Amino acid sequence: MDFIDYYKLLNLDKGASESDIKKAYRKLARKYHPDLNPNNKEAQHKFQQINEAHEVLSDPEKRKKYDQYGKDWQHADAYEEAKKQQQSSGNYAGGGFNQNAGFGGNQGDYSYSGNFDEDTFSDFFGDMFGSRARSQGAGRGGHFKGQDFNAELQLRLSDVYTSHKQTITVNGKNIRLTIPAGVENGQTIKIKGHGGPGVQGGPKGDLYITFNILNDTSFKREKENLYQNVELDLYTALLGGEITTKTFDGSVKLNVKPETQPGNKVRLKGKGFPKYKKKGEFGDLIITYNIKMPTKLSNREKELIKELQKLRS
Amino acid sequence: MNLEDLIPTDEICTRYKVERNFVHALTESGLLHTVTVQKITYVHCDEISEFEKLRRLHYELDINLEGLEAIQNLLSQVKKLQNQNVALKNKLNLYE
Repeated sequence: MDFIDYYKLLNLDKGASESDIKKAYRKLARKYHPDLNPNNKEAQHKFQQINEAHEVLSDPEKRKKYDQYGKDWQHADAYEEAKKQQQSSGNYAGGGFNQNAGFGGNQGDYSYSGNFDEDTFSDFFGDMFGSRARSQGAGRGGHFKGQDFNAELQLRLSDVYTSHKQTITVNGKNIRLTIPAGVENGQTIKIKGHGGPGVQGGPKGDLYITFNILNDTSFKREKENLYQNVELDLYTALLGGEITTKTFDGSVKLNVKPETQPGNKVRLKGKGFPKYKKKGEFGDLIITYNIKMPTKLSNREKELIKELQKLRS
Repeated sequence: MNLEDLIPTDEICTRYKVERNFVHALTESGLLHTVTVQKITYVHCDEISEFEKLRRLHYELDINLEGLEAIQNLLSQVKKLQNQNVALKNKLNLYE
């Protein structure tokens, strides 16, 4: 991750006092706090950065190192150590400290926790605070319920026509789920007790799964209803007739009324999508007729159409 | 209601290091729902995440009770609008 200018992030100048830092942090935290910005990943990311900036700038020791070493401040101790060693052996040439050396700073008092993604912390912050920063409820209070996990599951529309079982992996653990038929795109379900472990004997957190459903069919769906455009030839539209059309799980024969107009709709009851958690209940399939006009007319056809035209005028 | 799913408010105060007044004020304002069984007041475990959120807002961001109420109302509107947004997006797919 790129270097983050903590002062810039908190809208502060380098001479900011402790109270300025606190004030700036509070102001931004109230704006970007994840509890105040549900489902807003951008705000969550910003809040993590603000927290990180506050964590460093509010600690005089860390701030001093940050001011002195900038982006390399997390290696400050290693740098100082190397410098001392090189100076004592008389061959210090400046620069070139060990980039891989670990940073031995103290753990700060992290003031907020939530569901943070590991990769959104800048590298040194992740190294420094490790998993503590990512555990729910770290901070001033005791803890009880485990961390809630959020996951997104991509499914095809054809997959959710029937209830099925699926195994997903969350935080390295396999969870076998029953996905009820009829779940909707964007719908979130809660799987109780599949989040992080509880603290001090508390209950486990919950797992929230949001479904992202990709339509792999020619049908369009709104809730439990399906929509389909069906093409009719001109003569069937004018004179009526019987056609066979696809449904989601097969096909049906349809009687087309004479003089069917473009855009006319028919509703096939119970031929739509399963209703969520209502076993055996289905929505409707709504068919819209498109009339396909004939092309490449022969002379004879043109004559007959002209005759028809005369009859109508 | 299963007693196993209920957590005594006293225990919540101890574990989360919050004052009893805070839990009481949340209950009074309708932000937290409690049940009383044999003179012991409990919070259902499903409400814990909501309680944690209110606790964070109060203790970490210094938001007072009136502010919490206003935030709760606005957040429920946000949630409603987000759900509407998802439903409308799904509906829009019909015309694409």
